Amino acid sequence: MSQLWYQLKKSPLAIIGIAILALWLFAAIFGPSLIPFTYTEIDSQQIMVNPGVKGHLLGTDNMGRDIFARIVYGSRSIFTVALLTSMLSTLMGVILGFIAGYFGGKIDTVFLRAMDIMMAIPPLVLSMVVLGILGDSNIISLTLIVSIAFVPATARVSRGVLLTEKNKEYVSAARIRGESNLYIMFVEILPNTTGPIIVEATARFAYSIMTVASLGFLGVGLQPPTPDWGMMVIENKPIISQAPWAVLFPALAIASLVIAISIISDFVGKVLVNER
Amino acid sequence: MKDNLLEINNLNVDFKTFDGTFSAVRNVSLTLGNNDSIGIIGESGCGKSTMAFATMKYLAKNAKSSGSILFKDKDLLSMSEREMEQYRGNRIAMVFQNPYSSLNPSLTIGYQLDEVSIFHKKLDRTEARKASIEALQMMNISEPQRVVRRYPHQISGGIQQRICIAMAILCSPDLMILDEPTTALDVTTEAVILDSLKELREKLNMSLIYISHDMGVINKVADRIVVMYNGEIVEHGPKEQLFDHPSHPYTRALINCMPRGGVVKEETMLNTINGYVKRRGNQDVGCPFADRCEKRNATCENTYGMRVVGQSHMAACDRAYATDITDTKHLLKEKPVVEQQVFEDRPLLEIDNLHKIYGSRRKVYAVNGIAVSVAKSSVLGVVGESGCGKSTAAHMVAGLYKPSKGSILFDGSDISIAWNKRSPDMLKRIQLIFQNPGNSLNPSHTIEQIIGRPMKRLMHIHSAEERRKKILEMLKKVDLGSDYIKKKPRQLSGGEQQRVAIARALSISPDLVVCDEPTSALDVSVQASVLNLLNDLQQETNSTYLFISHDLNVINYISDYIMVMYAGKICEYGKRDEIMAPPFHPYTEALLSSIPETDPKKQKKPIRLGGQLPDPGKKPKGCPFAGRCHRQVGDICYKEFPPMVRLSGSHYIYCHHNFSEK
Repeated sequence: MSQLWYQLKKSPLAIIGIAILALWLFAAIFGPSLIPFTYTEIDSQQIMVNPGVKGHLLGTDNMGRDIFARIVYGSRSIFTVALLTSMLSTLMGVILGFIAGYFGGKIDTVFLRAMDIMMAIPPLVLSMVVLGILGDSNIISLTLIVSIAFVPATARVSRGVLLTEKNKEYVSAARIRGESNLYIMFVEILPNTTGPIIVEATARFAYSIMTVASLGFLGVGLQPPTPDWGMMVIENKPIISQAPWAVLFPALAIASLVIAISIISDFVGKVLVNER
Repeated sequence: MKDNLLEINNLNVDFKTFDGTFSAVRNVSLTLGNNDSIGIIGESGCGKSTMAFATMKYLAKNAKSSGSILFKDKDLLSMSEREMEQYRGNRIAMVFQNPYSSLNPSLTIGYQLDEVSIFHKKLDRTEARKASIEALQMMNISEPQRVVRRYPHQISGGIQQRICIAMAILCSPDLMILDEPTTALDVTTEAVILDSLKELREKLNMSLIYISHDMGVINKVADRIVVMYNGEIVEHGPKEQLFDHPSHPYTRALINCMPRGGVVKEETMLNTINGYVKRRGNQDVGCPFADRCEKRNATCENTYGMRVVGQSHMAACDRAYATDITDTKHLLKEKPVVEQQVFEDRPLLEIDNLHKIYGSRRKVYAVNGIAVSVAKSSVLGVVGESGCGKSTAAHMVAGLYKPSKGSILFDGSDISIAWNKRSPDMLKRIQLIFQNPGNSLNPSHTIEQIIGRPMKRLMHIHSAEERRKKILEMLKKVDLGSDYIKKKPRQLSGGEQQRVAIARALSISPDLVVCDEPTSALDVSVQASVLNLLNDLQQETNSTYLFISHDLNVINYISDYIMVMYAGKICEYGKRDEIMAPPFHPYTEALLSSIPETDPKKQKKPIRLGGQLPDPGKKPKGCPFAGRCHRQVGDICYKEFPPMVRLSGSHYIYCHHNFSEK
């Protein structure tokens, strides 16, 4: 813990990242009860008003909906999806990567080839196609498909760290006292690989925000009326010359959150490396 | 004193870390004349290397140094990086511990050597190459023309280190600093390197600073000795005086904890130094060794200063020249005599024609048919250089690998199978202690989990209460307190970690304990305590040990029987006293002669082993040692594997040499 403070003092960038994330988390949890508008409320008197007019902090779009409210409500869905995705993809990746790396041989070869095939299709394209076929997407289907698209990356990282740990003598020691493979994998090895896996999970968190936003932008993300940052950008694209704020602020929201989480991910990596 | 080459005055090096500032080197003053050589000795963590690195100004960013380092009357510490370049590698050269990581793996040896002369001496390529080849010749490297075209990984560790030294002498420096250059190497290679260092000094007229933790090595290369403890010099003086009259308690303890030639377990217990090197803040006063010293008194806590104890011999101890200086030879603790064990007729472990071949396409012949049996309650020591297959053999017994051919009989049942086919009972009866305790204990488990797990798994003690009781009992046996139970391996020192590993192995009372170099990763003082412990536990539990080591002194100390291995074959087997006395197998003879002596008066000439280990990728033919043997009889050595020559009921040698002649 004191190590964390020490590292934090040395990296002001990480403080900024954590501050931004904290702000967004606050907005997602308490925001909706603090702002006067909801995300569907149409103010027909105030269409495309400038930021700051009549309580519309960030202006309104072409239907008179409050941009600020939509961004705050949108943060809820994006946090839910991104958090679930990073956890689910890490979980699946660890299980698959550990099994492949631990047993090696044919299992490993099959695993690697399968991952290669999946990696050949970009996560975005894969999710797009599947979501397109499924039609209406909701939080659950979105989470599932993005998680699966991310599995090759997390599985490869898990397999890599397992391989370095597998050759250590404590694994041999466990083997010659007759431990089961599952015990060795998850009780002996897993606790020693948490560092790189946590770093990968936080990186996946940032990536899934990007992916979800992109899917929203492409129209296969969460469906209206649920506010989605990516969708807001594309929805308001036609009015970009009259009301640039309607595009600018959702885009800024995406960028700030992704950058903040990337910074935190780097920082977590550094702290965990120094702890070793 | 203007003729001094190097003068270090009140050097302090502090490191600012996140736990606060601690000083690695404190108030060190040292002078080195031309063509002088000093050896710096101390345990790990005593600031020896930091001092050397400070001289080269290779310090980390968080280090702060003060004082002065005068090299030819110029202060190195106040120089800029630019100015330092004129000295580094040119006037002052350094050789590091690990040759493999100090050579660039993707450049040829020749390229790396040439670079030095091109940069410092501004030679052109052909001249530089000529100089490089000359330097290699000076280090007695055969076929230098071919060596320069190779890459580091194609060359053995010993030759790599010789190349590093050749690189250091390219600019004929005035001062060469060697930081434990032979610690990672075999004794026979070490002997060759130490010999050539001696020659170099005569030829090139340079001064040496040699850092080591091995008294014997220091004795061979240095004229004067500096003993460092926890960043401070506790004693320095000419080597004859220092070895004859070690005055600081630390020096004495250090000399006495080494198992030297002739020390065996029946007669003596090794001396140990309690505790470990504590990190010091830069405000602490008093003798740094006070907390571990057996002879400390109240004044040690706050007074500290150098005293003259002889001709240019100083020691930093109040009572350095008091009456308690006893003859070092009797300082080893007397050990209570235990009655000679009675060996049962039936051996506990019988190995017959054991082979291990790694790989399928490119084969590596690691163990090539060894046959040996280990009697119950005895200790069989296996000794040999790295790569001789001793660890592989041990791991096959422990069940980590399946033998390629041959059988291992344990108490009558065949165990030439890997761990996954062995019964839990068999796994319980054979335990393995690994070389590196930091690696063999799971870093994220507590000591309680580590020791308790085999009990639960193999002895089926399911009550946590009962397990804890046994764990505490076991910890007490290995001299660790009950507070260790909640600690993790990272919070322990190397010696403590190895004790935990021993506790884990012995907690389920195995019949056979396979010790794979359990002390080679440890400091000498720690090694002594671990050996004492292993020895006591063996006598207490009457278990059988298969003890692997590359150090003949250690093997000599702990074993009842000794097996000498070379390139996967047995050279010689017999009772300890039979092995350690002539007639020898030529390889045993070479090994024994390579061990550096700690007594400056007894200098011996090591048998130089030329050539290299036989290629493990080829199917062995003839005597494996033939190519390097100094006693070979002729062609027959290369063609036929020598027959077993029985010298007594328990002693046999595989050699063509006729031993009855002598």
